[in-house]
Amino acid sequence: MMEKLYLIARIADTRVALRSRAINSVVTVGTPVHVPAAPPHVAGLFALRSRVFTLIDPHVVIGLPAVAVAPGQRVIVVDVADHGYALLADAIEDVCFIDAPETRVTGRLLPGWARVADAMIEHEGASLLVVDPSHFITLPVAKAA
Amino acid sequence: MDDLLNDFLAETAEILAEAGGALVAWEADPADRAQLDAIFRLVHTIKGSSGFLSLPRVTALSHAAEDALDQVRRGNRTPNATLVTAVLAIIDRLSSLCTALGSSGKEPQGDDGDVIGALAVVDESPAPKAAPVEPVAVPTDEEINAELQSWRSIRVPLPLLDSVMTGVTDIVLARNEFARLLRESGAEASVVASFDRLSDSIAGMRQSVSQMRMQRIDKLFSPLPRIVRDLAQDFGKKVRFSTSGGEVELDREMMENIRDPLIHIVRNAIDHGIEHLDERVAAGKGITASIEVSARQSGNQIEIMVRDDGRGLSPDALVAKAISARVIGAAEAKALTPREKLELIFRPGFSTAAKVTSISGRGVGMDIVKANLEKIGGVVELRNEEGRGLTIVLRVPMTLTIISGLMVRAAGQYFAIPRGSVREILLETSDSVRIDRLGGGELATVRSEQFPLLRLEQLLGCSVDDDEDQDDRAIILVRPGQGHSYALSVAAIHDHEELVIKPAAPMIMATGLYAGTTLPDNGRPVLLLDVQGLLAAAGVDASEAGRIDDASAEAAAEAAAARDAAQLLLFREATGRTRGVRLSVIERVEEVPASALFESAGVVKAQIGSDIFAVHAATFPTGPEAVKLLRLHDGQSVLCYPIAAVIDIVRLPDAVQPAQAPGLVAGVVLIGGEPVELIDPFWLMAQYGAGQPAPSLRQPLCRLSDDADGWAANFLAPILRSAGYRVVSGDETVEGERPDVQLCLVEEHVAPVAADVPLVRLRSSVAATGPDDDSIYRYDRGALLEALRTRVAGAGS
Repeated sequence: MMEKLYLIARIADTRVALRSRAINSVVTVGTPVHVPAAPPHVAGLFALRSRVFTLIDPHVVIGLPAVAVAPGQRVIVVDVADHGYALLADAIEDVCFIDAPETRVTGRLLPGWARVADAMIEHEGASLLVVDPSHFITLPVAKAA
Repeated sequence: MDDLLNDFLAETAEILAEAGGALVAWEADPADRAQLDAIFRLVHTIKGSSGFLSLPRVTALSHAAEDALDQVRRGNRTPNATLVTAVLAIIDRLSSLCTALGSSGKEPQGDDGDVIGALAVVDESPAPKAAPVEPVAVPTDEEINAELQSWRSIRVPLPLLDSVMTGVTDIVLARNEFARLLRESGAEASVVASFDRLSDSIAGMRQSVSQMRMQRIDKLFSPLPRIVRDLAQDFGKKVRFSTSGGEVELDREMMENIRDPLIHIVRNAIDHGIEHLDERVAAGKGITASIEVSARQSGNQIEIMVRDDGRGLSPDALVAKAISARVIGAAEAKALTPREKLELIFRPGFSTAAKVTSISGRGVGMDIVKANLEKIGGVVELRNEEGRGLTIVLRVPMTLTIISGLMVRAAGQYFAIPRGSVREILLETSDSVRIDRLGGGELATVRSEQFPLLRLEQLLGCSVDDDEDQDDRAIILVRPGQGHSYALSVAAIHDHEELVIKPAAPMIMATGLYAGTTLPDNGRPVLLLDVQGLLAAAGVDASEAGRIDDASAEAAAEAAAARDAAQLLLFREATGRTRGVRLSVIERVEEVPASALFESAGVVKAQIGSDIFAVHAATFPTGPEAVKLLRLHDGQSVLCYPIAAVIDIVRLPDAVQPAQAPGLVAGVVLIGGEPVELIDPFWLMAQYGAGQPAPSLRQPLCRLSDDADGWAANFLAPILRSAGYRVVSGDETVEGERPDVQLCLVEEHVAPVAADVPLVRLRSSVAATGPDDDSIYRYDRGALLEALRTRVAGAGS
């Protein structure tokens, strides 16, 4: 049943579906602590329940300009390789069961999206990209170099 | 049953390692009764435990060894090398039995007649009977058992210990967050009080848990004597081995990480470092070489030193070796400094031995030693004296997870710096710092020592926060490793805290600037700076070697000029008053949290680091969270003087209006047209100096007669008072006391109170009226005080 549970959110100006088992929680953040000299997609650090999380700006990962963190903005907390990260979300829409199967991505995506999208899924008459949060943690190699 | 067996095995392994070391020490000094007793006790313990677990072979072996040792203790047998070797053989057999026990769970079949028989062989050759062990007061079994109880302890599986540690670390972090929430919510006093109690016990628990993980470094040293003995015998070398500092404690995890490097270094010392006997004789050294292993704690670091008196390293031989091993090219070799030549031994693929021996050539090179140490934040340092020996110093942090960190501010946010690498903290405006800009770079000269100056904002690629007070800018002298140091300029120093360090996300660690993250009480994550990484990022050569010592003629002249012109530090007190103090008496300006201040026996004290200093404050300072303290230093003791802010450093004007009486204020000077009170450090130190006020001696009473125009009262009396006299004038009297001395002006009418009170006469003119004029010019301070002193002393005798 868990496999069918998705978080529908708007990240990097796009509606996407995230598999719920990849997600730890959704929380709001205050002002993050800036990390000087960090890669551009690192929006800062913030503490949650005695843990320090690294805030990721998906805009930068996709190739868009960075956006400032608004206090109270909601973030999607994920654990990747024993480290805690949070993806800045433009909006959190819903958590819902989607019975439709995940299908192969058809059509040409922007390179940034092509890297993070695993599949597509049909939900309430719209196609959504299914993205893997862990793909947002690292920048594309070419870009980081 | 399995648990019991595991405990037995763990304990026995420990005992055997210890017994091996003790035996070697005993062999070197058979008269050492304490060692013999210790070995006996250890063997006795194994016998006791094994009997309980019904391990007949172990029992028989330990019984035989115990028996032989007991004969020695009772004086029936002389200790010699044969006996020691036989006992060592038993210990080896016990070790192999234990290994078998550990893997199969039961004692293997076998015959130990050979090793037990070896014990019975009494060396018939005329043993040197020089030091027969006196058969005195052999402790009974009961006494030995009682002694055992004291070092009995519980064994805990390591993973459990680690999980307790992680748990406590999480509790500390949760407490910090809770403390912040509590502050923000403005909770009731009773809630805060009970939280504080909880907080205290958590702090106590954290301490105990850290201690649980600590082990005496003895444990690390215990297998070494045996290794040295066996190796020395293999090579036909004579080695005296000694250890010291075994009581130093180290985190268990760190211990694991330095065990192999340490053994490797000791092996190397015997194999490569120490010469063969004939070489030693040729070099004019004693036949017996010495290897010392010592440990000591310095701050948050442990220093382990392995010193040998062998041939040391030969830089040229190292280079030749490195070239032939294709570690470096010939061209590269030419450019090496002597130090770099030595450090060739840390290159992968390098081995100093002409041939790989069975002992040292075990695939572990010094490169692995270095890598292992660096993995845990340690450093390896070589101190080479070619032909006379080599000392290898390992420096490792005491614990991995909780460190003492200095919080600094830059670009409007906080960063932590490991306290262990901070050498000194100075204000940028301090008199002892000079900052030069040359060729785009900056250089800080602190007390004629030069450091490359790095600005933290620049390193991090941030702009300087304009809101920061430039006066607060501080310079931290950082020493990331031996032989390297630099000055780091930050916007302000905040305080220092015990910090729980967690690794940061890989992409943050990849910047090379940070060593981790931590969560202090305020709930805002703070990045721990990687002091070594900052240096690498700056691309500055921070090597201390070859720095121009600023003792050039120009600097010397400058220093001489500075000495002549005393400088004055102007500061604002909490009351808003501007005062000044000679800069030379100030050691540094310290900013401490208000919590570092406390009251003890009516005196305010400050805790700075691990020292407690007296603070000059009439009342307990309240208000801001951080208090700035001037640290006054007289070469022996330190006194802290709380201030609100440092204003400026100016030249001390020549004209000082002295104060009436000795006290806090020595006088008044005009700075920029404004009067500034000058603090008298002499008086201040006197107040706190010895920790107790000097006994008040009876101050002589001085009478000023006939002071019609008030000169004596207004001009003379303050001088007298400050010289330690009590003063009465005219017809005043002090009840029950006769004046010790009286003063009058020649021009005035003299009316002595009593003829037997010594009189000092003062005149208004500089010149004396005649040869028999014994009066003193009234402004001749020295002569006046001298006259008073002799008259008072004369009257007293």
